[in-house]
Amino acid sequence: MNRHDFLLEVRTEEIPAPVVVTARRDLARLVGEGLAGEGLAAASVESYGTPRRLIVILRGLPEKQEDRYSEVLGPPASTAYDAEGHPTKAARGFARAQEVQVSELVVVDSTRGPTVAVRRTISGKQTADVLAAVVPRAISAMTFPKTMRWGDGSRTYVRPVRSVVAVFGGHVVAMEILGVAAGSRTVGHPALSELPIRVSGPDDYLQKLRTACVEPDGEARRIRILEGARELAAAVGGSIESDLDLATTLADLVEWPGVVRGSFAPEFLELPEEVTTTAMRTHQKYLPVRGPAGLLPHFIAVMDNTEDRRGLIAKGNEWVLNARLADARFFYEEDRRQTLESRLPELSRLSFQDRLGDYRQKTERVERLAEAIAPLVGRPDLVDSVKTAARLSKVDLTTRMVREFTDLQGIVGGIYARLQGHPESVWRSIYDHYRPAGGTGEPPREAPGAILALADRFDTLAGLFRLGLVPTGSRDPYGLRRAAFGIVGIAIGRTWRVDWKPIARQALSQYPEDLTGLAVEEALGELEKFFAERLRALLERRGHSYDEISAVMGAGLWDFADVADRASALSEARRKMDFRSLVLAAKRIRNILGDEEAVSPENALYREEAERQLASDFLQAQQLVGELASARRYRAAMETLASIAPSLDRFFVEVLVNCPEPDLRRNRLALLGAIQKELSKLADFSEIVVEK
Amino acid sequence: MLTLQRLIAELSAYWEEQGCLIEQPYDQPMGAGTMHPATFLRVLGPEAWRCAYVQPSRRPADGRYGENPFRLAKHLQLQVVLKPSPEDVQELYLRSLERLGIDRTEHDIRFEEDNWESPTLGAWGVGWQVVMDGMEITQFTYFQQAGGIDLAPITAEITYGLERIAMFLSKSNSIFDIRWNEGLSYGDVRRAEEYEMSKYYFEAADTERTALLLDSYEQEAKSCLAAGLVLPAYEATLQCSHLFNVLDARGAISATDRVGAIRRVRELACACARAYLDRRTAAAGASGSSATPAAPVASVTT
Repeated sequence: MNRHDFLLEVRTEEIPAPVVVTARRDLARLVGEGLAGEGLAAASVESYGTPRRLIVILRGLPEKQEDRYSEVLGPPASTAYDAEGHPTKAARGFARAQEVQVSELVVVDSTRGPTVAVRRTISGKQTADVLAAVVPRAISAMTFPKTMRWGDGSRTYVRPVRSVVAVFGGHVVAMEILGVAAGSRTVGHPALSELPIRVSGPDDYLQKLRTACVEPDGEARRIRILEGARELAAAVGGSIESDLDLATTLADLVEWPGVVRGSFAPEFLELPEEVTTTAMRTHQKYLPVRGPAGLLPHFIAVMDNTEDRRGLIAKGNEWVLNARLADARFFYEEDRRQTLESRLPELSRLSFQDRLGDYRQKTERVERLAEAIAPLVGRPDLVDSVKTAARLSKVDLTTRMVREFTDLQGIVGGIYARLQGHPESVWRSIYDHYRPAGGTGEPPREAPGAILALADRFDTLAGLFRLGLVPTGSRDPYGLRRAAFGIVGIAIGRTWRVDWKPIARQALSQYPEDLTGLAVEEALGELEKFFAERLRALLERRGHSYDEISAVMGAGLWDFADVADRASALSEARRKMDFRSLVLAAKRIRNILGDEEAVSPENALYREEAERQLASDFLQAQQLVGELASARRYRAAMETLASIAPSLDRFFVEVLVNCPEPDLRRNRLALLGAIQKELSKLADFSEIVVEK
Repeated sequence: MLTLQRLIAELSAYWEEQGCLIEQPYDQPMGAGTMHPATFLRVLGPEAWRCAYVQPSRRPADGRYGENPFRLAKHLQLQVVLKPSPEDVQELYLRSLERLGIDRTEHDIRFEEDNWESPTLGAWGVGWQVVMDGMEITQFTYFQQAGGIDLAPITAEITYGLERIAMFLSKSNSIFDIRWNEGLSYGDVRRAEEYEMSKYYFEAADTERTALLLDSYEQEAKSCLAAGLVLPAYEATLQCSHLFNVLDARGAISATDRVGAIRRVRELACACARAYLDRRTAAAGASGSSATPAAPVASVTT
């Protein structure tokens, strides 16, 4: 069968940069799925996207569907034809109903014997017709974080659609997308190309687009940006940091990227580097230029233009950046007229959360939590530092700098504390305490910062849980998932083996008793579930399987670092042969024990050799396991426990646990109970999935 | 040299040529050109509407006593509304820049996602900030909802920040250095006003009296609504919104009060929007036509 290429271009007004890549991929996927549903598959699928167009190219698509055959059975041949073989009324009726001539009827063998039938060949639909139905459906099935209406308000999409190209095998596929009829014409870059483009197929299209100053491939645009930027930076003796996120955003903001270098007044280099680079990177989307000795007074801007012919673009960007930095310097000087300490009263005017009071109250709670955490992580020496840091941690929210550069909260406070002469243990803690950004970024660099970060997050979680504002679904307006991830990540990262439950309880109890929402213990229960989910997600990310995670969390959750250690031990130990027997035994024990009251087994009541053997092996193992576990050598502890598996197996073969004698039965259950108790300190082994 | 007044004249002339009615600034303080009835009320209902006007926009909290080179308590917006949004609306906008002597091949002009929301107006839209050579020069919005009402047809709203554009085109280091005309600078015309108004907003405004005024205007808006007087009700609502901003600049509104106050104004704005639509439906029923009697006839080309 002949195969042709299909080209689809949906040209829109500017799509938000973060959406371009997912949108083009979704469109390609949905068109592909729609075609697959019609029995059509392309040899290859490509998709491209720019802020102004989504492009799907399907190569080697059959020109039509395969023909299909159908057979409709009618009356038995014996009633359809008379003795002479002439069609009867039954045959004529069937033919009429099937809209065929009687002569077209055939006789086939069916389960009912010889039967009259109609056979038809259903020719496959033309692919162009299938596309005309599939593509508009794919467009309307696309989802976006935010959609809009335009014009008469009857259509919804991410941005208004302005033209559609749909060409299959050199011909336009007649279809309408969101009120726009498909054709074979499009336009190039809105500033750099004037004439409309008429296209006949994918390769012709891609080539003409590039001539019309549109690079359809986002990756190619990104490479062009980075290469151009490196070159321009090198020309002034500098380099750019590889900032993939920014480069990707920039690539999806332009169709024909050019780079231009600008400079700012060197006096602004006296500003904290964090401020200067935030102004460049976050506010202006420039790439900062760094020399061997630090930041250089240059930047690289990306433009949707080939060249800066008259230097206007560089000049404009320079003006904007200088204005921003002048603004920042004004804030920097103004802010420092007051010490952080003297700003403390202003925190009372800043609401933390409607019903949870102001930031002054929050920092007081955080201070008490930090004070409690420091000794728990083995650093009582840090109590004073973390208390000071906690007290000052939120003061920068009252500064002009943070009001303008919101991304720099914490960082600005840290810088101001440093300039005021606070020791490193204080200023760095303030500086770092919002880390890890997003819950998974770089953690605080030093122990005091980590303590402050934990205290701050426990307090935030506690307050909102007390209000009953537990995140559900995808909604998490207070970033509580990030906060919990941060806590778990820090505790594991620093291997701080602490039972965090009392800290969580303290955090919850620090809020007024009469808050409407959840009582302390109730909220603690919710918080435990919440942490369990985060911990599970984190362990999954580390490659642990579902059952391993359930097993280790079954033996205690609140010491996150310990859970992580036991999970690692378990995934190593489970590869040993004995381990499988141990797990099977654990499952049997669980099933057999039920809710028996725990009593200690007595030697005098052992009757069988197998139970004596098990009791003595267990006793020996128990002591060793206890020592290993307290040294947190969990893998060795688990392997030691696994070493009693053979005697457990023998026990279950030879000993009848539920024997008629009540005291013997009780004693056997007691032995198993003791074993289970020991096992459950490490993990709930009965959760482990093993092949039968 | 493009003075501020030439800038206004050129843009107005351009949009007049595009069939816009040239409205006048509304004679009441307001935070943005969007609040002018020529936008807020006209985006409602099915009638085509093309309009442009300058609106002085007050942001008391942005006042800096005329000392900060980039901030003003009152700035000028040139507002264009096109309903329904035409297909070539971006191109129309780009040509307005050409009218100012901006050759798009010599600049970097980008439409970067920036959605707009006004909790006090119960309004939101989707669109971009237009960034030229790194500077935000225009807010471009497809109005989706106003006064809590889903809109159809959709209005395209183009808001030029006039001082920013003038400053950027002349590469001035201060707003106050912009030439208003050949003889006078922006500072000559406005600096004293900026100083006095900042002083008022930050120091002198009597918070108790202002809060009382807010309450009074709220009552006024409600009684006007009860009397079926849409525009007077809306004017009182605008007063409320401005008085709220004054209190906010004065630091007299706690975070909790803020939510409540914004809700109060929003409820009024939404009630005005509904009343406006009810009135136009009633008028259409009475006269048998779809035009509201209050609608001046604009020269509309679509």
